[in-house]
Amino acid sequence: MSNVRERNESAWLLPAGPGTNHGLREQMRRFADDDEVDIVIVGCGAGGSTLLQRLARAGWRAVALDAGPFWDPERDWVSDEAGSHHLYWTEPRVIAGSDPVPLGSNNSGRGVGGSMVHYAGYVPRFHPSDFRTRALDGVGADWPLQYQDLKHYYQDIEEELPVAGEHWPWGDPHGYPHRPHPVSGNGELFQRGAMATGITAKVGPVAISNGRFGNRPHCIYRGFCLQGCKVNAKASPLITHIPDALAHGAEVRPDSMVTGVEVDARTGLSTGVHYVHQGVPRFQRARMVAVAGYSIETPRLLLNSTSARFPDGLCNDFDQVGRYLMVQGAPQTAGRFDAEVRMWKGPPPEVSSEEFYETDPTKPYKRGFSIQTVSPLPITWAEHVMAQGHWGAALRNYMSDYVHWACLGALCEFLPQAENRVTLATELDRHGLPVARFSYSQCENDGALMKAAREKMELILTAAGADEVITIDRYAHLVGGARMAATAEHGVVDADCRSFAVPNLLITDGSVLPTQGSANPALTIMAVAARAADRLLINGAASRSN
Amino acid sequence: MSTLPLAASDGGARFPGFSSAGQAKHWDTATASVVMARLGRPPEIHFFTPAQEAAAGALCNQLLDQREEPRVPVTAMIDARLAAQETDGWHYEDMPVDAQAWRQTLAALDDEARFRCGAVFAAATWHEQTRLLQGIQNLGPAPWHGIPAKQVWSLWTRYACTAFYSHPWAWDEIGFAGPAYPRGYKNMGVDALEPFEVRDVHPGDDPVRGKKGSP
Repeated sequence: MSNVRERNESAWLLPAGPGTNHGLREQMRRFADDDEVDIVIVGCGAGGSTLLQRLARAGWRAVALDAGPFWDPERDWVSDEAGSHHLYWTEPRVIAGSDPVPLGSNNSGRGVGGSMVHYAGYVPRFHPSDFRTRALDGVGADWPLQYQDLKHYYQDIEEELPVAGEHWPWGDPHGYPHRPHPVSGNGELFQRGAMATGITAKVGPVAISNGRFGNRPHCIYRGFCLQGCKVNAKASPLITHIPDALAHGAEVRPDSMVTGVEVDARTGLSTGVHYVHQGVPRFQRARMVAVAGYSIETPRLLLNSTSARFPDGLCNDFDQVGRYLMVQGAPQTAGRFDAEVRMWKGPPPEVSSEEFYETDPTKPYKRGFSIQTVSPLPITWAEHVMAQGHWGAALRNYMSDYVHWACLGALCEFLPQAENRVTLATELDRHGLPVARFSYSQCENDGALMKAAREKMELILTAAGADEVITIDRYAHLVGGARMAATAEHGVVDADCRSFAVPNLLITDGSVLPTQGSANPALTIMAVAARAADRLLINGAASRSN
Repeated sequence: MSTLPLAASDGGARFPGFSSAGQAKHWDTATASVVMARLGRPPEIHFFTPAQEAAAGALCNQLLDQREEPRVPVTAMIDARLAAQETDGWHYEDMPVDAQAWRQTLAALDDEARFRCGAVFAAATWHEQTRLLQGIQNLGPAPWHGIPAKQVWSLWTRYACTAFYSHPWAWDEIGFAGPAYPRGYKNMGVDALEPFEVRDVHPGDDPVRGKKGSP
């Protein structure tokens, strides 16, 4: 903690208490379209914002474009479920496959801060095994980097968010900079059920400061983490990396939808990006381009960026763009207690277990799942009840019982498959560009993990004293779609997030992940982007000294 | 504040005197303006044709068991979303976008009602409507008027639940206090209530297990 302010001053640049540093935004440096900036970054989520902050600190002239707004939490966010629809990416998309995955809500983001604005706040690390699932288990893929390559970036980001939690016994055991939060009724019941079944559960890891951090206040446990944290207690890049980036001369250009990446036919290098701002087509010149639009929009942008050199889409020489896109299976189990749980009180992310994360040789399936508290608000809870087949009078009766239910969610490691991918649909968006078509089908291992996770969650809640349990199947998170690999035949970028096909084009978001573990991806996306920034700076320094 | 009509035997009257909107003075202004607007006059119908409005009205009354006034104005709330194109953006490859899917499935609902009951859906009896809808839900993944029935069911229930359970009257029925900023919570834990929360007076009314004490 000692040097975090020296590395990233964001929390000290915010006003004391909730709110936005308006002066910092008003005084933000602004580049002209025909300035050749050092880098233009597409997307201000977990990956894009981290890269921006690192490069701005190193003195780069950097601009980050985002299709959505530059949020002012006090004005733009509400403590209300239905009123938070504008936090999602709701541009048209087509979903297909034998298990089509709905998009646009929990697995999408929009505006500065990206989906971390409305993520729950869980920030577990990947386990060392996640980087070598092919070698260890014969499934998935091996990364071109190892856990050790990311370890100190994990530590850095955990300090910058900061992360609160108990000492973590799984994967590479480690501690967290902030102490664990107190838990609500929902977390208490998970702990009770885990103890009764001999399963280890721990409080955390959540990116919610426990105590004041810089000028950011303490969490008030209001339970609306998924609607954007108005308190400034839960971390998102909007408050953890963007303020420091602005203070170091970066520009954030919101409401700017990037429509194409330009590549010079003669040099083979990218020269900047086409974007639309307030209906006007514009072009930002840049020495380097980093795409960080997440697993659907990043492949879509590449596929829409065609040229004589790249007739099938940018960086798509080996038909890798859009492939190996993953979701996590996220079954959700609820248990009914005579006591009042009021699971909506307190942050949804509280307690988790990674006891079933790794491959268990006694089981017929590979890899595993994690279990975490989730606490659906009324609309999401109604969807859970509806998914049981209840409607009409039965639905109302179930819903009237809301105070008595506790809820757990699992994250199952679905395997990367080549045919789970983004392609372009014939349908066009309002800019006249083909929209993404996302096809998803589960494999046998995926289904087996869903079943195993469900059984374990039902066991825990029953052991905690629930007299009935009900489970629904759902999905969470997206990663992959432009994965990193050792060679161009197997991926789109290398371990440093540099594209194989265009030397000055990077991809720095969740789409580069070759596997996903059973971990929420935000921390790993930030760590990978932070590492990419370091590699860029080291290589840049080397090439300059040459 | 209104109380939605719901018999105690169906889960009503569990939180006597509880009013979520009564806490509005503790909400931030951005949130209060969004939530309190739902208690104002419902938006005019802009998207549905009169025939679609009638079918949607009857459908939503069924899905949410709203048999009499006062009702949460679910149809008007759905209409407002569709008129503003406030969708999640995605659509199944074998199904049109939400706006068109609503028009198409409501027309199919009327066709089916004419065939089975001799009248449009809204003019069928409550019991006939219930049976017809149960028949559609029972189809599961099988097609209904050219679209997998479970996708149609999901479309209807998703919009209906989002509207209904965004309304403070529905929150009162389930004991949910609504927005919690800037106040937050201080009494967390099993059976720990805030001073403004009201305890369930029928804790044994477990819809899964059945009514305790009933024969």
